[in-house]
Amino acid sequence: MDIEIFPHRLLNPETTEQLLNELEVMDGVKRMVVHGPRLPPEEAGSSDRTITIQGEKLQLQVQTGRILLEIDEEETIDEVRAICENYLPFGFNIYVGTFIRKEKTVTDDIKYAGLDQIPEEMIGLTDQNAKLSERATVIKRKD
Amino acid sequence: MAQYYPGTTKVAQNRRNFSDPDYELEKLREISDEDVVNILGHRAPGEEYPSVHPPLEEMDEPDDAIREMVVPLDGAKAGDRVRYIQFTDSMYFAPAQPFLRSRSYLCRFRGADAGTLSGRQIIETRERDLEKYSKYLLETEYFDPARSGIRGKTVHGHSLRLDEDGMMFDMLRRLILNKDTGKVEAVKNQIGDELDEPVVLGEPLDEATLKEKTTIYRKDGEAYRDDKDAVEILHRIHVVRSEAGYSPE
Repeated sequence: MDIEIFPHRLLNPETTEQLLNELEVMDGVKRMVVHGPRLPPEEAGSSDRTITIQGEKLQLQVQTGRILLEIDEEETIDEVRAICENYLPFGFNIYVGTFIRKEKTVTDDIKYAGLDQIPEEMIGLTDQNAKLSERATVIKRKD
Repeated sequence: MAQYYPGTTKVAQNRRNFSDPDYELEKLREISDEDVVNILGHRAPGEEYPSVHPPLEEMDEPDDAIREMVVPLDGAKAGDRVRYIQFTDSMYFAPAQPFLRSRSYLCRFRGADAGTLSGRQIIETRERDLEKYSKYLLETEYFDPARSGIRGKTVHGHSLRLDEDGMMFDMLRRLILNKDTGKVEAVKNQIGDELDEPVVLGEPLDEATLKEKTTIYRKDGEAYRDDKDAVEILHRIHVVRSEAGYSPE
C-alpha cells in the first residue's frame, strides 16, 4: 500500500532533509520516492541542494513537491501524519492509493537487459524517461 | 466614460484601475535605470543603443498623410531595435495576470506590442521606450517580487505551489529571497545570465495586501461566480457572439 504526502508548498532542501531523515527511520516505511519539478544541473561550487540522508550525501535533482511512501500497515499513516505536522506548518494532504509502480515493464526489460536483472526494490523507483546512466550509478564487478 | 471591465467586486475594480490610463498606480519601490537595463539584459548599462535603421530625420520618407499625423516614439525616431520584457504571474494572488497585462498595456503604452499566453505575457517595443515602460512595470503595483517573475525564457512556475518562503517556483532561480534582509534580490537577468551585482527589488507584499490588490478571481479569494455583473456580461457576450455567428435573420 502506498501513500502520497502532498505539502501545500514546494519544500526547500533543508525541510526535505529533516523530513526524509525522520521518515527513513520508521519501521513501517519500505520505500520512498521524492517527486517534483526538475531543477537545472547543479553549477559547480554551490551546495544548497546537497542533502544528507542517514549520513549519505546526495544531490536533489528536483524540488520536493510530493513524497511517495510504500508502507506495510495502515497505522503507519498516523505516525507519518504526526511527523508531517511537525515539519509542514503550511499544511499538507495525505492520500492513500497506488503511487509506485509494482510491475515490471517492457521498458524495464530493455533498459536493464532482461527482466531478471532488476532487483525487486528498484521497480518503479527510477524515472522512466531518463537514461539510466543519469539516474543511477552502476558499479561493475571485477571478473 | 470608457468601460474597461464589468463587475462589482474588488477584483473587478482592480482590473478597471489597471486598464484606466488616468488612474495613477501606486509606486511601491525604487529601481534605478541602470538596474532595469541589467535585468533586461539587452545591452550593457551606458552602452549606446544599437540601431536597425538611420534616424527618421535623416531618412528620405515618401509623402504620406498618416506619417505626418502619427508622432513616432522616441525609439522609432532614433532607429532603435525592438526588444522585449516578459513576466510570469503566479496564480496565488499575483497583482497582475497575462490578459489584464495585455489589456492595460494597450491602454497605457503607445507603440507597444503585447503577446499573451496562459502563464506569461510579453511586451515588445523600441529599446529606449521599453526601458521606460519596464521601469514603470517593475516599480508600480504591476509587480510583486515574490509572486511575479521577470522571465525571458524558462517561464514554468505560474501554476505551481509556491516555495516554502512564499516565492514562485523558478527553475533558473533568478529572484532569491535574502533571508537576512527579508528583501528579494535579482541575481540573474531575465534570460538567466548571472548579474555582477544583485538588484534589490524590495520586500514581498504580505498575503492580505496581495488579496486586496489582486486581479485574479479565486474561490479562496473572490470567486468569479459571486460577481453577478461580470457573469451577466459574460453570458451576454457569449449569446451575442453565438447568434451573430449563426447569422440569424
